[in-house]
Amino acid sequence: MSFLGLAVGGLLWGGIIPGLSHFVTAGTLLAVVIVFLLYGASRIPTSYNVLNLQVRWRTTLLTALAFTLVTALLTVMLAFVNGMYALTLGSGNPENVIILSEGSTDEGFSNLGFSDVNDIGTQPGILQEDGVPLLSRETYLVVNQPIPNAPPGRPKRRFLQLRGIDDPKIAARVHRVELYPGGEWFSDAGVRQLSDGQIAVEVVLGEGIARELARDRDGNGAKKIRLEVGDQFILNDRPWLVVGVMQSSGKTFDSEVWGKRSLIGPMFGKETYSTLVARTASPDDAVKLRDYFNRQYKRAAVNAQIETDYFASLSETNKQFLVAIAFVTVVLAIGGVFGIMNTMYAAISQRTKDIGVLRLLGFRRHQILVAFLTESLMIAVAGGVVGIALGCLSHGWTANSVVGGQGGGKFVVLRLMIDADTIALGLLLTVATGILGGLMPALRAMRMSALDALR
Amino acid sequence: MKLFGLIADNILRNPVRSLLTILGTMVLVFVVTLVWSILDFLNAATATRTSNFKAIVTERWRLPSQMPYSYAATLKEGAAREPGHIRPRDAMCWSFYGGSLDREKRTRENSLFAFALEPPKLLTMMDELDSLPPDQHREFAEVVRRLEQNRQGIILGRQRLEAIQKRVGDRIKIYSLNYRGIDLEFEIVGLFPPGRYDNSAAMNIDYLTAALDAYQRENGQPHPLADKSLNLVWLRMQDTAEFDRIAQQILTAPYYSNPAVKIETASSGIATFLEAYRDLLWGMRYLLAPAILVTMALVISNAISISVRERQVEFAVLKVLGYRPFHILSLVLGEAILVGSLSGLVSAALTFSVVNYVVGGIKFPIAFFGAFFIPSQALLWGTIVGAATALAGSFLPAWSACRVKVTDVFARVG
Repeated sequence: MSFLGLAVGGLLWGGIIPGLSHFVTAGTLLAVVIVFLLYGASRIPTSYNVLNLQVRWRTTLLTALAFTLVTALLTVMLAFVNGMYALTLGSGNPENVIILSEGSTDEGFSNLGFSDVNDIGTQPGILQEDGVPLLSRETYLVVNQPIPNAPPGRPKRRFLQLRGIDDPKIAARVHRVELYPGGEWFSDAGVRQLSDGQIAVEVVLGEGIARELARDRDGNGAKKIRLEVGDQFILNDRPWLVVGVMQSSGKTFDSEVWGKRSLIGPMFGKETYSTLVARTASPDDAVKLRDYFNRQYKRAAVNAQIETDYFASLSETNKQFLVAIAFVTVVLAIGGVFGIMNTMYAAISQRTKDIGVLRLLGFRRHQILVAFLTESLMIAVAGGVVGIALGCLSHGWTANSVVGGQGGGKFVVLRLMIDADTIALGLLLTVATGILGGLMPALRAMRMSALDALR
Repeated sequence: MKLFGLIADNILRNPVRSLLTILGTMVLVFVVTLVWSILDFLNAATATRTSNFKAIVTERWRLPSQMPYSYAATLKEGAAREPGHIRPRDAMCWSFYGGSLDREKRTRENSLFAFALEPPKLLTMMDELDSLPPDQHREFAEVVRRLEQNRQGIILGRQRLEAIQKRVGDRIKIYSLNYRGIDLEFEIVGLFPPGRYDNSAAMNIDYLTAALDAYQRENGQPHPLADKSLNLVWLRMQDTAEFDRIAQQILTAPYYSNPAVKIETASSGIATFLEAYRDLLWGMRYLLAPAILVTMALVISNAISISVRERQVEFAVLKVLGYRPFHILSLVLGEAILVGSLSGLVSAALTFSVVNYVVGGIKFPIAFFGAFFIPSQALLWGTIVGAATALAGSFLPAWSACRVKVTDVFARVG
């Protein structure tokens, strides 16, 4: 009955849950069909298989545990890559056009002159709000930050991503980013005098980097989950004051520090803009604006991209990780196949007489095959389901990584994400391994003649 | 000896089971070897050295580091400017020049990034190239000599050459991405020795400098990157005392104010880059590798448990013949350890040969490392991992075997 449940669940899943990739849907359906066929073809009661597994509970447990580990690993690794994809695909808006200097594939290498930026802002197609174009003018920088209280053996510096912004309110509208309650955007001056007389740079932090920077405080006993409004950190030998924390989870901005461009750019030797992000009325308008800048605009040589395309281009690292994970998973699954084969061969050699009796009772060869395949599947599915359940515990964990494409990348804090695809892939792996591992022993059982088996 | 003979007999008695256990162990040792090779390389790269190590000078705050080339001359001298100041043992400056072989369509295959440097430094300052075996050194020195003589020369890694489908002696044109407007023609003068630099390229810095000068002559203004063309300076240090003194000289020198510079050991610089992968490496070290080891132990444990259950009568007979429980324990453990260690050794040896000499390293996208290679110690790891997991997995079945009660077993048989 457990297979029937799995089959029905799989069908509902493939048909109902949106976002399940075609590959996984097809694979799940195939697995369901196989399970149905096995279930339908078997005339030997399932209770016979269950009883046998109970009798050899140690072997069953050991084999299932191996499956548990393999599928748990697969689930966690896929959740990691899912998190990376969620970041790169969730960071952009299809109505936004990102404009870099020609030839630049990454914000870090882009340089846009002041006059060009001003001219771009007057071009038609950019959405206006109260007569002001929704064009965010930005300078993206990666800088070194010495880590205070760095524990022994840990790096003494980290890379910090800064985004200098001319107008934070326009940037917030363009990027659809909001602050947590209690926060505010940095002022026009971009600095504030502290109570001790020092001048601090006002910044808003992505939630991820706010957590990362809070780690520096562990040494002082003032342990915090993340930096909050009013907290400070040191960069470029001066204090930086947190005036807001962005609700940026799931976007690459989550790992960025935003401040006044006119202060931050020159402070780190970057006088020019790196990025312009223009908001349009609709995704179709965004395509038109992109084409206009790439084909017709002559004042400056620029590279315009739909924002979602730009972030999708940063997913090359994700693909490489995915390939690595697929490779490791396949190799581990092969190990699992050998493990289950061992178990099933042993089961068959211990139950040779059973097979003979079953044949004498009139059960057909293919029914013997199905019975042993079913048993192998039961072990795999039991271990696999527990493994997937364990792997699901990683949902929501945060992890540091780098996303990137050709010629650029971003340091990100991502959230591991379990979705229907992850679970379906885990189940597919389980079913495939169970069938592959059980097939050869089951064929051997099937080929036994009744007399030979009883002799 | 007699016990060893029994162990061998038992392994051969059920060849299918032994083969499956061996194959299962081999594939799992294969994954562990891959994971540990990456971690081992990164550990070595970030390990603090106290003698004959390299330091890196870069822009203090920004990434990527872009310093004026005018810094090069004094930085190579360790900013020695007063009597008593010391100089590094050797130095190398790097500029990065990158682009595509196709102006319109840029792909991973037709992209090429080259270190622009003084050619002789390839032999004295580049990791691994500075310690080549004599025959490889002679061969590569000839390639370096050609690069020195031919300013338009370029040395490519073997995989890069294959990817762009060219041969040594061919000419290529690179449409630059970082030095916009400076597209350069090159002649491929030779190859890097196989290994770490399979995807790298090196060009003569004089060619880039001349191209920047030509740009200014033709356009009436310097190239936007003209005063940002020095990306990195490597200094070779004798020991940490020398490093401390030279670091002090550089950090107090008046020449490097805009932009300011920083100096750190190469291992420290690499560790900073790897910090971005902190959690990924943690997962590989503390989740993936241990989980595979436990899986291996389970696979072996399963096979040994089955074997022990099937041989209850045999163990009872052995006891009747005078074998002590310790002998039976050793017999079962010996079987497992022999299978585990041999499969581990064979798997590691195969991994070492195939990954290093057939595949050309593990292509794993961490930091700026192109490919990871399997170290020769992996042969030892494989054997130990196989043996240790076999021991762990077989201990309980072996314990149960040595505690077999003769009377119980014969009562059941009867």
